[in-house]
Amino acid sequence: MSKVSTLANAVASISPESHVALSGFATARCTMAFAHEVIRQGIKKLTVSQCVGAMDADILVGAGAVDRIVYGGGSRGRTGQHHCINRAIEQGTLATEEFSSLSMTFRYLAGSLGLPFIPIRSLNGSDILKDLEEKTPPLVGRLQDPFTGEEWLVLKPLIPDVAVIQVQVADEEGNAWILGPRWDNEEQVKASKRTIVITEQLVSTETIRRSPERTLVHGFRVSHVVHLPFSAHPSSVYGVYDFDHEHIDVFAKASKTPEGLKEYLDKYVYGVKDHWEYLDKVGGMKTLDELRADPILGY
Amino acid sequence: MTTDLEYSSFELMAVAGARELKDGEIVGVGLGLPVISSFLAKRTHAPNATILFELGVVDPEPLTVAVHGLSDPRIWYRAKIHTSFADMLGTVLHKGLIDVGFLGALEVDAYGNLNTTLLGDPKGKFRRFTGSGGGNDIASCARRTVVTIRHEARKLNEAVSFITSPGYLHGGDEREKSGLMGAPSRVITDKAIFDFDPQSKRMRLKSIHPNTTLEDVLDNMSFKPVIPDNLPVTEPPTAEQVRLIREEIDPENAYAGS
Repeated sequence: MSKVSTLANAVASISPESHVALSGFATARCTMAFAHEVIRQGIKKLTVSQCVGAMDADILVGAGAVDRIVYGGGSRGRTGQHHCINRAIEQGTLATEEFSSLSMTFRYLAGSLGLPFIPIRSLNGSDILKDLEEKTPPLVGRLQDPFTGEEWLVLKPLIPDVAVIQVQVADEEGNAWILGPRWDNEEQVKASKRTIVITEQLVSTETIRRSPERTLVHGFRVSHVVHLPFSAHPSSVYGVYDFDHEHIDVFAKASKTPEGLKEYLDKYVYGVKDHWEYLDKVGGMKTLDELRADPILGY
Repeated sequence: MTTDLEYSSFELMAVAGARELKDGEIVGVGLGLPVISSFLAKRTHAPNATILFELGVVDPEPLTVAVHGLSDPRIWYRAKIHTSFADMLGTVLHKGLIDVGFLGALEVDAYGNLNTTLLGDPKGKFRRFTGSGGGNDIASCARRTVVTIRHEARKLNEAVSFITSPGYLHGGDEREKSGLMGAPSRVITDKAIFDFDPQSKRMRLKSIHPNTTLEDVLDNMSFKPVIPDNLPVTEPPTAEQVRLIREEIDPENAYAGS
């Protein structure tokens, strides 16, 4: 069955107050076109989760679409901190449930396996755990190993309402390939109640059937397939295009202040009708062609 | 002798980091100096080391180390494996297979606890930084951790304002009792190398770098480390190690100033 949908329709399926898991990692495979459309449609009060904070979560927080972030920290690496997320935390306007990369992965993994909790060594002794122990309802607990008697920290599973995953290749049923490293994406998809796939390339199911071992996103878990080229811009999609260094700089500078961010949103999000107008505004075909990945290098 | 060899303090730190890696070991690496250290070790005394990046990259051979971060695909080039957090931090790290984890921090304390989360009073006004990423996981599970940090009084404190990644906690056997694996092994600064006192678990000077004095080392930290009777000078880099860093690993000089 075809689940191919416009971005607008896929985004419209997200209700306010939903928990959305996003596929970005810092400046790679961020769900940027999706985030822009969420902002344009005015969907608010979201909970956003991902192992390592990325540009998709940062812009959603900056635009006021997010009430709560569940993540393992993160930055844009050498291009700086996630100013919108950090500012919201400093000002107390964003509820946070902060973990580490592995504890987030384990929470998704427990969700994907239908387990009631998952034991972990990480977080013990840290102030991250101290902060989490103050949360109600509880997110962490203690349990005795019935085999050795050892006491373990256990985490509550994470079951997002929807995972939004940026992929290179998908068919119309949502069977999808993630090429390159995939950080927490497979566990996010499998933990979530449903998945929206945003793909650079839409291929026939016959193509998928010829290399089924590559299919990390299972079509039967997918509600919408959105075929949208350069939909992770200005972040990178391995093997398809590089990140746009210049535009990341534009965002980095703008997001340093609420005023700068507002100008950015007015110009690149509210000031365009859709993703195609956005692509024109960031330089059009000339810029995008320069970002195309070399097939050997992958960037 | 190597006394006439010129090298930067960054190069000295990178070489000191490389020496912590043994051949055949598995190393968990973050961006920056650890990348230079681990690539240097692989090209010299540890050709059979395995280098892991937490997001799911094993043994890459990048054409450049002048990259944005771990999310920059340049640093994934020619990897043997592209996989996931669940694999790297789960089936490798959490299973206990990472021998050495390299970590950086905003500040480190007398017991090797690391803060990468915030500066200031956590209950009052504070400035927020990166948080954990895989840092807490590596500090919790790697057999040995090696911390690299600039030698400044504001970065070397008796206690950190937020424990993002655990060291020996408050010292003694507190870490052993807390369900963590492995332990902090070294803290490498641009003035000295530290290990930890086996009983108190307090940071202990292991060597001080050439052209530095004990006074200079102590004046630029906010707590008093354990000082052993015998305090050697850190072994300087060899000409070949410096050449490899400058000509083969980081010819663009991307990290020399960091």
